[in-house]
Amino acid sequence: MGATGPLAKHLPTGQLRRMSLDEMVDGQGGLRPPWRRLMSAIAELGRDVLAERAARLERLAAEAGATGMIQGAATAPPLDPLPLILGGAEFAALADGLAQRASVIEAMLADLYGPQTLLADGALPPEAVFADPGFLRPCHHLDQPPPAPLLRWYAADLARGADGSFAVLADHTGLPDGLGQAIDNRRTLGRTVPELFAGQPIAAHDGFLDAMLGIIREAMPPATTEPAGVALLTRGHADPAWFGQLVLARELSCALVEGGDLTVREGALFLKTLRGLQPIGVLLRGVPGAALDPLQLAAGTEGVAGLLAVPPERLAILNHPGAALAEAAGLRAALPALAPRLIGAPLRLAGAATVAEPATVPWLAGETLEAEPYRLRLFLARTHDGWRALRGGLARRMADPAATSAAAPAAMKDVWVLSETEAAAEGAAAGRVPRLAIRRDAGALPSRVADNFFWFGRYLERLEAGAFLLRVALIRAASPAPTPHEAAETEVLIDCLTHAGLVDAERVRGLGPARLAQALPEAAARQGAISRGLAEVSRLIFLLRDRLTAQMHLLATTGLREARAALARIDTRNETTLLERIGQALSAVQALSAMLSGLAAENMVRGGGWLFLDLGRRVERAGAIAAQLAAALAFPGAARQPARVEHGLRLALELCDSTITYRARYLALVQPGPVLDLLLADPDNPRGLAFQLAGAEADLAAIAAGESGLAPIAASLRAEAGAMLGGIAAAADPAAAAAALPPRLRALAEAVGQLSDQITRRYFALLAASLTDGMAA
Amino acid sequence: MIYRLTHLTRYDYQAAVDLSIHLAHLTPRALPCQQVGAATLATDPPLSWRRDVTDHFGNRQSWLFVDVPHATLTVTATAEVTRTAPDPPGGAHAWDALPVPPAVAEFALSSPLAPAHPEAGAWAAASFPPGRPVAAAALALTRRIFASFRFRPGVSTVATPVGETLARREGVCQDFTHLMLAMLRQLGVPARYVSGYIRTRPPPGGTRRLGADQSHAWVSVWDGAGWFDLDPTNGIAVADEHVTLAWGRDYADIAPLRGLILGGGGQALSVSVALEEIGGDQAATLATAAPVNRSSAAAEVRNTCRGDPAAAQIGSSASRS
Repeated sequence: MGATGPLAKHLPTGQLRRMSLDEMVDGQGGLRPPWRRLMSAIAELGRDVLAERAARLERLAAEAGATGMIQGAATAPPLDPLPLILGGAEFAALADGLAQRASVIEAMLADLYGPQTLLADGALPPEAVFADPGFLRPCHHLDQPPPAPLLRWYAADLARGADGSFAVLADHTGLPDGLGQAIDNRRTLGRTVPELFAGQPIAAHDGFLDAMLGIIREAMPPATTEPAGVALLTRGHADPAWFGQLVLARELSCALVEGGDLTVREGALFLKTLRGLQPIGVLLRGVPGAALDPLQLAAGTEGVAGLLAVPPERLAILNHPGAALAEAAGLRAALPALAPRLIGAPLRLAGAATVAEPATVPWLAGETLEAEPYRLRLFLARTHDGWRALRGGLARRMADPAATSAAAPAAMKDVWVLSETEAAAEGAAAGRVPRLAIRRDAGALPSRVADNFFWFGRYLERLEAGAFLLRVALIRAASPAPTPHEAAETEVLIDCLTHAGLVDAERVRGLGPARLAQALPEAAARQGAISRGLAEVSRLIFLLRDRLTAQMHLLATTGLREARAALARIDTRNETTLLERIGQALSAVQALSAMLSGLAAENMVRGGGWLFLDLGRRVERAGAIAAQLAAALAFPGAARQPARVEHGLRLALELCDSTITYRARYLALVQPGPVLDLLLADPDNPRGLAFQLAGAEADLAAIAAGESGLAPIAASLRAEAGAMLGGIAAAADPAAAAAALPPRLRALAEAVGQLSDQITRRYFALLAASLTDGMAA
Repeated sequence: MIYRLTHLTRYDYQAAVDLSIHLAHLTPRALPCQQVGAATLATDPPLSWRRDVTDHFGNRQSWLFVDVPHATLTVTATAEVTRTAPDPPGGAHAWDALPVPPAVAEFALSSPLAPAHPEAGAWAAASFPPGRPVAAAALALTRRIFASFRFRPGVSTVATPVGETLARREGVCQDFTHLMLAMLRQLGVPARYVSGYIRTRPPPGGTRRLGADQSHAWVSVWDGAGWFDLDPTNGIAVADEHVTLAWGRDYADIAPLRGLILGGGGQALSVSVALEEIGGDQAATLATAAPVNRSSAAAEVRNTCRGDPAAAQIGSSASRS
């Protein structure tokens, strides 16, 4: 059977140009049997549908990587709609060969981190080990062998040569980079081009994850007295491996943690959470072994000080920290010579640095197929009855290295292993999943995550309040010839703007009535405070990616992009469009902030991260209200002529977006008592202080969960706000009493700031670590 | 010689430290020429957890955890050490025809703080004519370094590159040790970094040594059959005036005390070391002399760490005049 359908004339011609094999097309130009069903499914889809699906895959990749939001963030490589197909028997032979290779590596590592007989009797040259940075001396103890086995997982990169046989291009002895990606690719492809899967006996991934879970259970040290947890230690979001680690952590139900989340106490490893220290019994190592312990190895922030002191009966680190030694070129080259001695058999899968004429596979490029070489990564895990392979894998396009980078990584493919027995195929019974106990708490929320949620709330609120304040100011700035009253209001607004960090007080001092008109574009300009606020919000959204739903993340990403684009359209040199463009940009920022608030309110479970997000907002807004009230009541001239405080009260209502509510209650008459009741004490006005402080109090009480927390501090602040109002009501001259409030309000704003510091110390307290040396002063 | 060793390290922190983790190489090694009795290692505040292991080089390594808030931390190591002069180098191997068995090969390779260094090798080459026995060549090199380099604390750190020491012709014991290691490694002679102490007071009529009252370092050289120790800071072969703590490829492998603290802000460090003789070869003299020496040990010189100019002047004027 030959190729049919819309792609027929675009079939690869690689094998005509080169000596290399093509996975899909045989030497006579015919399709190899496993590919026939796939190509007819593609033919049935048709050119347009296929192009549309490919575009969808590209979009998904872009969203998965949150690309372009943060500098240095990893970019997800695009996923080709066409898989790489491997026959069941061929895959089984590869898996066997890799299992054997992993056994040789295991035996070699056990010797090199143990008795080192391979060095003593000259089987390996000493410099192959001792000159290699992968040999971690702190993991070699003369008085005890390394915990066995050293390898629980293993991955290898392979390429097929012109003779049809595979060679191992690279061995991976850390947490298998790409495994999470491979699992995610299968799901993405299944959702995007389900038609291609129809009728194909594709082996399922599930069994492998079950095997990994079993391995983790086996590795759990028996000496742990209380139930200990499992954590995956990552280098963080800037690491290209982070996305795969995120997927893996979800699949294996373990905590995804960074070095700062962990601490060593009393000879055991703990995760710092809001509920205190939670013991960790198994650590999946997603960072290089050399970065694990800043005290013993290279200093850095990725590791955990003292981690290497924890004895194996308290903690299993998978894989062994020093396992990367086996990836060294010198030792890889020695494996064939070592195999007979270490496992009593010759090595079946040889290693190679490169393959001269690597086999090709078709990659979709626009409407054509390109035959390009690929690099196949397979994954193995060591169960109690031997090595077991993921029946699938990850294929990467082996493109010109100059054309690929972190920003434009090479494309990848899902790998299908055709199953001989239909029972093991994808979609078959998942089975054997233990029944979960019902729980409603968020589990142990790491302090770092709570910290990020708290600041997400604060920055979101700051952004929203900043945009609102700028909008209030914008109305005044539009006035060509300000009246004395407008000039006085401008004074107050400048005060508020500087307090909120939106304009630099030094820059606007002494510029006359034109100050506001000059300050506004500055705040909204590309490098201004609003842009910086957006950058903070997008940074936190990225850091919280694994805690937000995909929908929420997508909408946030889109909204951020739009707000940023609107800010970029502000042209400070073009006076005719300036105010209008600023207005549009502020609308975009407010829309984003309202949308995120709405999503948080309607989508997030009340507890854990939401509590801290909400607390951050409440604390931020309470502080801002107190500061703005102080500024408004200090209305120019009010100290000498208390009647002028009325202007301040009007402005305060406007700044707290409460003018409509006030009018509905009291019509046009503005008096200190009613205004301050609405802004200081009304428990139902979300733009007032009492509402915010009551919210913070409730959040703090929920966070403390019965233990003594910080809620009483929020309560005392609310009482102080109430006392201020009481003073106004009792005063003979309420206007004079209101004009005297600013110092108390400023003190209250400061106290709210102190509450924020106390929250930080109590719940986050990530103290700075520093190294000391007993010789160097 | 029987010595009483006291190594006191004290950190004063600006703010309270919540958790401090230290990795110590502060227990003297047992050797054929060195018996170690009653070695202790303690902290104030007391340790919350401790783990001792034997490291890659066979040294005793201690993890010290203190997890009560503290503003001051002292780490005190004490031991009684009986030291005899080691056997003189046995092999008469020429330096350029040295047998290097696998167990020794690691020390011929570069390490981060003591890499093979062509310029350093060229400086050393004058002491290494073809065919010269390694013991004689290395001792000659030791004396040349002593004669050509000035002992001067405060001009270097524990991580000063050997090229800098070579150019400045000055430094302290760690610098001279790293430099000599770089020279020997460039020439292909295995050599290791030894950390330890030298006696605080000279024996009657003897020379006060450089590097006393503090952590000391010197070089151990492979002679084809065994190791022998040379002290380039004092230009001598190591006999019974030194006490060995640990050895490795360079300082970084066996820093006596390295720590990581959470919190603390700024910190001030002070170190005092005393290696006092409490017994000698003539047992009869020792019996009466010992109490006197013990009481004088109590009035030991409180010396700050390396880098104190006052200590340096005392040290260099005593030995180089």
